[in-house]
Amino acid sequence: MSLARLVLKELAHRKLNALLSAMGIVTAVALFVAFFTTADASNRETTRLMRDLGFNLRIIPRATDMEQFWTDGYSAHTMAEDTVRQLASAERVFLVFNHLVATLQERVTVGDQEVILTGLARAITAPAQQQQPMGFAIEPGTVYLGFHVAQRLRLKAGDAVHLGSMPFTVARCLAESGTDDDIRVFGWLPDVQRFLNRPGRINEIKAIDCLCLTSDQDALAVSRAELDKFLPEAKVVQLRTLADARARQRQTVERYAAFLTPCLLTAAAAWIGVLAVLNVRERRLEIGILRALGYGSMPIAGLFLARAILLGVAGAVAGYALGSALAIHFGPGIFQMTAKSIRLLPSLFLGSLLTAPAFAAMAGFIPAVLAVNQDPAETLREV
Amino acid sequence: MLSFDNVTTVHPTPQGEIRSLDRLNLEVKPGEFVVLRGPSGCGKTTLLLTAGGMLRPTSGTVRLEGRDLYALGERERNRLRGQTLGFVFQMFHLLPYLDVEENIQLAAMPRNLLGTAPNPRALELLQLLGLETRRHHRPTALSAGERQRTAIARALLNRPRLVLADEPTGNLDPANASEVFRLLRGYHESGGTLLLVTHGTAADALADRVLEMHAGAISSRATRPATGSSPAVSPA
Repeated sequence: MSLARLVLKELAHRKLNALLSAMGIVTAVALFVAFFTTADASNRETTRLMRDLGFNLRIIPRATDMEQFWTDGYSAHTMAEDTVRQLASAERVFLVFNHLVATLQERVTVGDQEVILTGLARAITAPAQQQQPMGFAIEPGTVYLGFHVAQRLRLKAGDAVHLGSMPFTVARCLAESGTDDDIRVFGWLPDVQRFLNRPGRINEIKAIDCLCLTSDQDALAVSRAELDKFLPEAKVVQLRTLADARARQRQTVERYAAFLTPCLLTAAAAWIGVLAVLNVRERRLEIGILRALGYGSMPIAGLFLARAILLGVAGAVAGYALGSALAIHFGPGIFQMTAKSIRLLPSLFLGSLLTAPAFAAMAGFIPAVLAVNQDPAETLREV
Repeated sequence: MLSFDNVTTVHPTPQGEIRSLDRLNLEVKPGEFVVLRGPSGCGKTTLLLTAGGMLRPTSGTVRLEGRDLYALGERERNRLRGQTLGFVFQMFHLLPYLDVEENIQLAAMPRNLLGTAPNPRALELLQLLGLETRRHHRPTALSAGERQRTAIARALLNRPRLVLADEPTGNLDPANASEVFRLLRGYHESGGTLLLVTHGTAADALADRVLEMHAGAISSRATRPATGSSPAVSPA
């Protein structure tokens, strides 16, 4: 006979109480898991959508005249190309900025067509993130043509085109975007620098903000403060529409979580606590018998806490399975996202497995103290 | 073995104080079989629970094997109770979700919480008390006599030096009551000390001494005659 066996036998004997207690834990864990699994999927899908929409942060030389910038679509001032590497090497920069792409843009004439010639460097991402770099990976000696440029010049992939006296091959003609990308010619940054006679210079770093900020933080203010530290010679412009959509989505999830978490925890704790108190009351005689057999306070408290922990473990496993099933089944409808973006989160399983038993033990603590402090003589004298 | 020195126990109730034990003096010597007889409500069970270290008296001293029971810390008192005492109750008090063997082994658990070393004496007691065939039965499947025998086996598992029995035959028919007395006498004859409280006279013939209890105090005392017949009660 061991303490564990005694707990298991008691659970099997008082099935209804055990089942109701476990249900409380299963419900709480399932709701948490379902919520966070779908929220995570929704977040991931938003991130993907935002990436598809493009960069939302534009880092430009501080001296830039904003009227000129918005009129021309790029800064007339330049900064050293090394600036982007300097920014990327700054500590914690990737907590604010993501996918840094150095660019050099200027209006030029190709044939009889005015285009925005845009030189693009390879995107730099956080080393630990192992993310696929965003944007085009343009090979030296090749160009990508915006939709209208390709139409007007009647060019297609594989054709040759000259920028001034420099020959290039059209690697790709882009689909219509509805933005000024349609009148751009994208080239490898060193090629464009050579053509524009601006070696080692850029006039913009494109970036996207990360999703790491909490809902009460203003992403632009944080970006500006960080940039002032890392790169005082530059300033940042944020495309608000994209940023706001992202912030709203994140804030909604956080607000739900802030409301749901304490409500669920309180309800589950009350449920488990009440059932544990009922269990202690039901077992008053048993506690008296155990006392008569020489059991001390620790083994008796251990009986009740071990029971709670065991129910917590069972509740965590069942709750995770149920919560994941709920997320897969109902998540796409509630969070308006595609079902394939839902991924089961092993970290949630581990979290449930650690927190649910601890939570159940905390809820069962007061009943365990009641059990320990119960007067055995009173019970044994009653019967 | 066990002594009560001027022990008083008062219980406050909404209707006023109840004096369960009133300046009670008692001494039980090692190897003695003492029957404490008295009507319901005279304080017999309170005395037994106090003797077992489970009910602190309002005043007076209770000594078990020379040690002031209530001067000990709770842990030490629990240990002493588990090692020195065995309890037998009128209502058997078996755990309904454990089988016979597990109920008996329950007494060994305070010293072996992981259950790594089951007490081999449990099997011995199962045989001795004729419970081998009921070994894996739960209390609900047992007769009253079998339940009480299981409770006695549990009380005897740790080879206690003192058994405290509270109306052990109160719920049994005469045949089963005789069997229980036979077992308790066997324990006594093997050197064990026994304090049995009852309101009947059935155990008198087996006892070394019979004490009468009334209103929380021992009012008279009887000694078992040599013939083994029921002793005459004499003034305390």
